[in-house]
Amino acid sequence: MPEVALDIEMERADAHQYLTFLQGGNLYGLDILNIKEIIEYSEITEIPLTPEFISGVINLRGSVVPVIDLSQRFSGKRTEIGKRTSIIILEVNDNDLRIEIGLTVDMVNEVLDIYPADIEPAPTLGKQVDTNFISGMAKIDERFLILLDVTNVLSIDELSMVSNVQGDIPQ
Amino acid sequence: MSDDSLQIFAEEAEDLLSLAEQALLNLDDLSDEGETLDGINDLFRTFHTIKGAAGLFGLDAIVDFTHVVESVLGKIREGLLKVDEPMVSLFLLSRDHLDNLVNHVFSGATELSAELKQTDETLLKSLNCYLQSAPITGEAETESEAAPDHTSSAGTITERDTPSVVSANWHISLRFGPNVFRNGMDPASFITYLHNIGDLLSVTLIDDAIPTWSEFDPESCYLGFEIVLIAPNADKETLEDVFEFVQDDCKISILPPNSRVDSYVRMIEELPEEDLRIGEILVACGALTEREKDDILNAQDKMKDDLTADGEAPKIEPLGQMAIDQQMVKPLVVDAAIERQNVVKVQRDASQQTIRVNALKLENLVNLVGELVIGSANSELNSRRLGDAELNVAMENLLRLVEEVRDTALGLRMVQIGETFNRYKRVVREASRDTGKDIELLISGAETELDKTLIEKIADPLMHLVRNAIDHGIESPAIRAERGKPVKGQVKLEAFHDSGSIIIQIVDDGGGLSKENILNKALEKGLIQEGQLLSDKEVYRLIFEAGFSTATSISNLSGRGVGMDVVRKNIESLRGQVELESVEGKGTTISIRLPLTLAIIDGFQVRVGESQYIVPLEMVEECLELNDSHQGSNTAGNYINLRGEILPFVHMREVFNAAERTMAEQEAKHRDNIVVVKFAGKKAGFVVDELLGEHQAVIKPLGKVFQNLKGISGTTILGSGEVALIIDAPEMLQRIETSSTQGKNSARVMH
Repeated sequence: MPEVALDIEMERADAHQYLTFLQGGNLYGLDILNIKEIIEYSEITEIPLTPEFISGVINLRGSVVPVIDLSQRFSGKRTEIGKRTSIIILEVNDNDLRIEIGLTVDMVNEVLDIYPADIEPAPTLGKQVDTNFISGMAKIDERFLILLDVTNVLSIDELSMVSNVQGDIPQ
Repeated sequence: MSDDSLQIFAEEAEDLLSLAEQALLNLDDLSDEGETLDGINDLFRTFHTIKGAAGLFGLDAIVDFTHVVESVLGKIREGLLKVDEPMVSLFLLSRDHLDNLVNHVFSGATELSAELKQTDETLLKSLNCYLQSAPITGEAETESEAAPDHTSSAGTITERDTPSVVSANWHISLRFGPNVFRNGMDPASFITYLHNIGDLLSVTLIDDAIPTWSEFDPESCYLGFEIVLIAPNADKETLEDVFEFVQDDCKISILPPNSRVDSYVRMIEELPEEDLRIGEILVACGALTEREKDDILNAQDKMKDDLTADGEAPKIEPLGQMAIDQQMVKPLVVDAAIERQNVVKVQRDASQQTIRVNALKLENLVNLVGELVIGSANSELNSRRLGDAELNVAMENLLRLVEEVRDTALGLRMVQIGETFNRYKRVVREASRDTGKDIELLISGAETELDKTLIEKIADPLMHLVRNAIDHGIESPAIRAERGKPVKGQVKLEAFHDSGSIIIQIVDDGGGLSKENILNKALEKGLIQEGQLLSDKEVYRLIFEAGFSTATSISNLSGRGVGMDVVRKNIESLRGQVELESVEGKGTTISIRLPLTLAIIDGFQVRVGESQYIVPLEMVEECLELNDSHQGSNTAGNYINLRGEILPFVHMREVFNAAERTMAEQEAKHRDNIVVVKFAGKKAGFVVDELLGEHQAVIKPLGKVFQNLKGISGTTILGSGEVALIIDAPEMLQRIETSSTQGKNSARVMH
């Protein structure tokens, strides 16, 4: 976000809304424009021969939607399924096609207005999360909110590319 | 001009042009004169309809070009020219050019591109050669004179070889529309203006349209005129311009001097008044002689009879009908013409009545039926759980109906493959000429039905394979003679059903493939290693690898080496398979196997680990329990003795990496089942945890995220709402085959 600090007065006007959620103790934010709906965690059908972070698919009112395990994607640990585990359904653009993808998260919090001026660029030295996945950091009540870059987290090219790493018949 | 109308015109023209192509290609084979004449008549009619329609849209480029084509065809019909091979080729080129013109217009361009213009000119020059070489008669001149009358009125009818009338004067027939006064026009002023162009010989008022006084509206115009004008130096355009302001609203026919009788027939046909009365008026005003009138009225009856016999009645009938309609409603020429075209279309072939449906609507319907199937599966599950006998019976009935609805809905998308096959006639004709080979195309199974989307997607790969067969398959006539084969080569296109799939074969009786060449080439390209042992099938499969081409020379037909792997990819993306068999010196057979539909299949439901899977039912041969008596000599090699047959099998649990979770359970109590699957002559067993029975599976594609996933071809939603995965059985079988060859041969086979 190079234009962030350019004109604070003007940017104040158009605050973006972000959905915040908890995952592995960290607070994340997703631009609300990408989000289609939030559903309760339901049984996921595993798809064999796919990378670990693809949990599988769910039946969302008749359409089959793939679900990504955010925890697996970031830290290689499976999401612990709890009472508040939710699936956020996002719409991702891929070559003009809108693709629905689900994201399992520990707990959905709230929707916040965040002004562009309050967002700082992603730190170059990432800690647990690959900095590619972060579009910026926002400071909310002394806590840092990690804003996710949906296109990178859910890059269709990347997701599908990993799919064929495995998949030979074991002898 | 509304886009919708133009769209209909474009579609219509496309249909007509493909008919024309068919007719032209048939001409090629025919030596029988009677049939040739029929073909020419068909062509004439087809081109004429295009011309008429294009005229309505003011597409002058198309009209002018079609007119010349039509004239040449007219000459042939009159017996002044003979059809020969170059002429047919010229017509084919002209057809292509028209196709381009139509597309060009449809894309919204107004000006012709330089390229099109040039083609236009070259073709016209060649066509005109024929026109000039034929003996020119006075009649021909009149024809070209009368021809550009495309702007005059609603459509033109087939011009017949009829004599011209004696009258050397213009005849103008006017029927003013009811809104002429309201639009501020005065009919009298138009007639007065005609004085500036020539002398009015007679003006006859036609007042038949005036209603009874109770219905008379003083603001409406009910007048019509038959005018005979002496204006030897005027041209048609000038006359048309006179009526420019009222042409939308009125019915105007302008007949040049010495017009052919059938122009009069047509005009009379279009006029709302009774034919006989018009005839008398025309005689009275000096446009026709008494004898001509009788001839015309007779000719008209005869023409009606003729056309009815031809099955072409609609060309006349709706016009008459419409002329009446137009009296009552505001005549929107374009809409009326479209209506007429539609009428023609529907009635053209009464035995195969069709309606055009928007593809999206159809897709929607099929999707909804899919949901219906899922919904009914869910209901069935619940009703069975309740155990209410009456509910179950009702449910049973409902399910049967749903199944029928499903089949009918899917059937809507099925089209015969014949039309696609016929397209290749042209390819073969041209390609065989380019290569100097004598080749005939045989077609069988043209009536085999296939999903429309599949047909569209298979057309290009097929084209490639046909070209390959001509270019690389069939030998030159000299070599064929040397090898003792008939000089005429054969390429056969065949389609038939086989266990739930459709098979399309391209068979040629050419030189076949040399296994040695393939192996050498593959070594050279690094596709295989030295000393590797390959079965015949595997050798032929190499052809479909990327970057493989055996042709030593590159021709403009094929041989760029990008073909076969693209063909394979296209076919595989349709859940199909392609295979090649060849006998050196005898020929090559390429078989394409495709699923019948992309939407809904009957499936066999099984459980592996915790997930449910569907195997396409038509591939399931039988199910049996896997026990020690079956377990043949080689458990590690994974094959059993099935009634004396060797059946390789795989544990699906291992394939799908579900092993860890179920191993303990399996050892404790579980007995495995084998589902025996057969596809394309290959047989194998899938070992699963549990057999769950039949299930109608609505295929939901896995989407882009899983586009590279092998072994799973899609998903479906079960009655319980759970998602089940559809096993890509052909892919699995292929893997099993590959791995069993690996077991037997020490060499590693590239895939």
